[in-house]
Amino acid sequence: MIRNYFKIIWRSIIREKQFTFLNILGLTIGITSCFIIGLYVYDEITYDTFHEKGERIYRINQSHIWGDWNDQYASTGPNVAVALKKDTPEFEEITRILSVGAQTMRRKNNAKEANIFKEEKSFLAEENFLDVFSFEFVNGNVQTALKEPMSMVITEKTAVRYFGNEDPIGKQLEVRETDGSWNTFTVTAVLANVPNNSHLQFDILISLNTIKERLQNDNWLWAWTGFSTYGVVKEGTNIEALTNKIQLIPPKWASLTTERLFNQPYDEFTDGKEWKLYLQPLKEIYLSDSPGSHLFGPTGKPQFVKLFTAIGILILFLCSINFMNLSTARSSKRAKEVGIRKVLGSERRSLIKQFVLESTIFVAAGTLLGLLLAQLSLSGFNAIADKQLSFIQLLINPIFIGVIILFILLLGIIAGSYPAFYLSAFRPIETLKGKVTSVFKGKNLRNGLVVFQFTISIALIICAFFVQKQLAYTSSMDLGLVKNNVLQIHNIEQLGDKVETLKAKLEANASFTHIGRSYGIPPNVWSGDKYRAFGPENPALHFTDVRTEGDFLDVLGVEFIAGRNFDPERTPDKYGVVLNEEAVKVLGWGEKENYAQDSPIGKYVAMTTESADKMEVLGVVKDFNFSSTKEKIGPLIILHQDNDWVWNYGRGRTFLAARIDPNIINNSGDLQELIEEVQEEMAQMDPSVLFEYSFMDQEFEETFRSEQRMATVLNIFTLLALIIACLGLFGLAAFSAEQRTKELGIRKVLGAKFSELAMLFSSEFTKLVLISVLLASPIAYLLVDEWLTDFAYRTPIDIWVFGVASLLAVVVTIITVSFQTIKVSRTNPIDSLRTE
Amino acid sequence: MLLQLNKISKWVQSGGQKVFLLKDIDLWVHEGDFISIMGPSGSGKSTLLNIIGMLDDFNEGEYAFLDESVHTLKEKHRSNLYKQYIGFVFQSYHLIDELTVKENLEMPLLYKKHGGSERKALVADMLDRFNIVGKKDLFPSQLSGGQQQLVGIARALIANPKLILADEPTGNLNSKQGEEIMEIFKELNNEGVTIIQVTHSEKNTSYGSRIINLLDGEVV
Repeated sequence: MIRNYFKIIWRSIIREKQFTFLNILGLTIGITSCFIIGLYVYDEITYDTFHEKGERIYRINQSHIWGDWNDQYASTGPNVAVALKKDTPEFEEITRILSVGAQTMRRKNNAKEANIFKEEKSFLAEENFLDVFSFEFVNGNVQTALKEPMSMVITEKTAVRYFGNEDPIGKQLEVRETDGSWNTFTVTAVLANVPNNSHLQFDILISLNTIKERLQNDNWLWAWTGFSTYGVVKEGTNIEALTNKIQLIPPKWASLTTERLFNQPYDEFTDGKEWKLYLQPLKEIYLSDSPGSHLFGPTGKPQFVKLFTAIGILILFLCSINFMNLSTARSSKRAKEVGIRKVLGSERRSLIKQFVLESTIFVAAGTLLGLLLAQLSLSGFNAIADKQLSFIQLLINPIFIGVIILFILLLGIIAGSYPAFYLSAFRPIETLKGKVTSVFKGKNLRNGLVVFQFTISIALIICAFFVQKQLAYTSSMDLGLVKNNVLQIHNIEQLGDKVETLKAKLEANASFTHIGRSYGIPPNVWSGDKYRAFGPENPALHFTDVRTEGDFLDVLGVEFIAGRNFDPERTPDKYGVVLNEEAVKVLGWGEKENYAQDSPIGKYVAMTTESADKMEVLGVVKDFNFSSTKEKIGPLIILHQDNDWVWNYGRGRTFLAARIDPNIINNSGDLQELIEEVQEEMAQMDPSVLFEYSFMDQEFEETFRSEQRMATVLNIFTLLALIIACLGLFGLAAFSAEQRTKELGIRKVLGAKFSELAMLFSSEFTKLVLISVLLASPIAYLLVDEWLTDFAYRTPIDIWVFGVASLLAVVVTIITVSFQTIKVSRTNPIDSLRTE
Repeated sequence: MLLQLNKISKWVQSGGQKVFLLKDIDLWVHEGDFISIMGPSGSGKSTLLNIIGMLDDFNEGEYAFLDESVHTLKEKHRSNLYKQYIGFVFQSYHLIDELTVKENLEMPLLYKKHGGSERKALVADMLDRFNIVGKKDLFPSQLSGGQQQLVGIARALIANPKLILADEPTGNLNSKQGEEIMEIFKELNNEGVTIIQVTHSEKNTSYGSRIINLLDGEVV
């Protein structure tokens, strides 16, 4: 009997190639998308799960003392760790890391140029870092690897980069300092490459003891918020009680810093706000909204994960619905077979078995093809989503296999049982007489399902539209500076005093209109400090600051609305500042309109230390975007690069920005040549300095990379959802065409024209799609509105987008249905009526 | 006595009124009978045949098949009963399009749970008997109407039924094919198979032993 079932199934697959193809294709597309999304989501939610002590590891976050104190800040000062070690025995271990940013490195005694590399991911790590986290050791001693100053732990790929196949232990690497000198480190251990699903991403660890002296200076220890502090709590610790307990630490310990650095007692510094400490479980770090980012690796976007989970589930729904719809629609064709079988003595049970078996085989085929396709398209998806997903190891995971089998059975049974129960319930004589086809119910159900599918597709289309619109809007909005044609040359600090020579050489080049040096370049101006309007009674405020020279402001093309730029001829300008409009406003000096009566020019600002000298305001520039365009423009204070009153944090990276004359350099070939010229100039001055460059407009684009990526992925899945919905619609139209053959035949005999029939037939589906448009629009509106709250500058939610999306949906519907429309409208009525 | 209908009526409600499809039908069928049911379109011939074949219900009356009263049986028993004793032949053959001739013949045996070798033997017998061995691997669509009906009859016979119900078996055939089919029925009847046929054709009734004329659901 089973053999007989398989035979029938196989032959009906062959006989109805179109149906089989549509049905399996829809399922395959759906499963493929769903599966890839599943992998993506799984990857996102399983970050940092490989650490042995993972359940007990917490990151210590604190109030964002440089901004909104209610926000969490992922970094702390170095002394949070010290205080916790002293005051909270609940912690088994406390460790901290500090990101050192990009550095230039080479192997010692092997000074070939080819062996110099830029290392972007290096941390300073405390001795016990590798006790807390379970990064896999390949070589070297775990206990002592990070103990001695100037010791370095590197990952395997880094080891290969510098040492090839040699054993790197005990060998030496050199790091270039800001002043151009080289510092020598000894490799003490090699780690396996850091897994992708770690929120900490590093290639190099340097022992924190290397900077021991700097960690002794009490002035800094609570304000130097570049550290990440992690603690391992003892087994059975009450986290809530511990969280309450550690709130006592900042008031007790931080006052030394606030007094010495800001000249404010702790209470005055906090000004009634709470300097809180938070314990964030390790597993929640990667995917958390607050704090939104940290300095040591990637952060996930919880909205993306939610969005994609939703899309995945919806697509699964869509393709399941489609499958059921098409199976049900087609089953009426099988009515005759059911009738014959019943007359010949088949029981209901065995008919149900047959249908369920059939649909299960379809689902299984679709699923297997889907998995295959997922594997084939995974590398493409990885490239788009910037992921390293792989599912080979999943294939041997029994849970995964169980889920797949469960899915096949579930969908197979659900999709097969409707036609099975429905058809087998008929009296055989009715199915034989063909009554079933004409009274076949479930039309409302199927129409409802089509509406549901199109509602989802149209909502996705509208969302995708707005995402594109917003991205286009942000990339074309007026930034207050001219971002095009700005070439940024990196690593300038390593040239030391040869920078001026380089600058002069570039100035002599007619291809450049302006050249300027800066310590930070939009959109990556992040550093900041406390400033006040000069006078002890004025409040200390947080400003973003950037060190630069007047020429750089010319390169940017920012507009001065009052005062003037730095003038290299006037020496006192070195202690002058340029403010942006927002800074003037924050300082309480009024808006642009009032400058005529009460000009900010000539007023003074100062740092907040008691002895701080006053710095004269030379000019005010129109607000321009100096960080991501996602944020509103904050107060900015532009310092002269030679200003030695204001502390210059860390090893400052310096850039040379050059505005290219687009009239001279107007093709990519010329541009390439120009860049090579600059590279040569630099190589002649100091071949050991790495030549790196970027373009400002591209850097601005970069700030939207995750959104761009999301947009691309969203577009793909929107398209797929639409394809699935169309496949379903196509199948239903085919079914409807068959059902209505007689009706349309009669109409034709009575004189209906081709166009009238076509209209009549396609309007049935257009109606459904229009209903979907009505349902989808408010849903899409809510989603888009929610998404846009992330942006400081938003594209308006225009009605016309809804109109265009609806029109698109209707056009797609008409095209999809038209194949059938043309078929039914052309049929000779004699053919259709003779079947009676 | 093979079967007995006693005051069988069937009606449908239409516009608040009972419309009788069949009214007070009495019918006795003995083993070996060859009965023709005649009457104009809509007289209830097919309905009567379907009721006899237990494919349709009735509203009133009694039906006894081999001394079992059909109207009190559960569906499963009824199905067993007709599975065992009744074979059907249809005007439009009703072969399963996806199955070959051989497989179509095998189908009723599958539902009666015959063993594989037994099925093979019975199918081979039938193919032989109707001279269609050469067609055994063809699909219904590859056969002429007469050939399809031949397969339909072979399928009805394969489970060795006592009664064959034929609903206008020659309705879709040309006269020559029709004659051939009727000859086969005649032969079967001679071998002892009871046959009830619905027909429009006077000529076809001549093969039978009894004629029942229906008009508006009543025997006339």
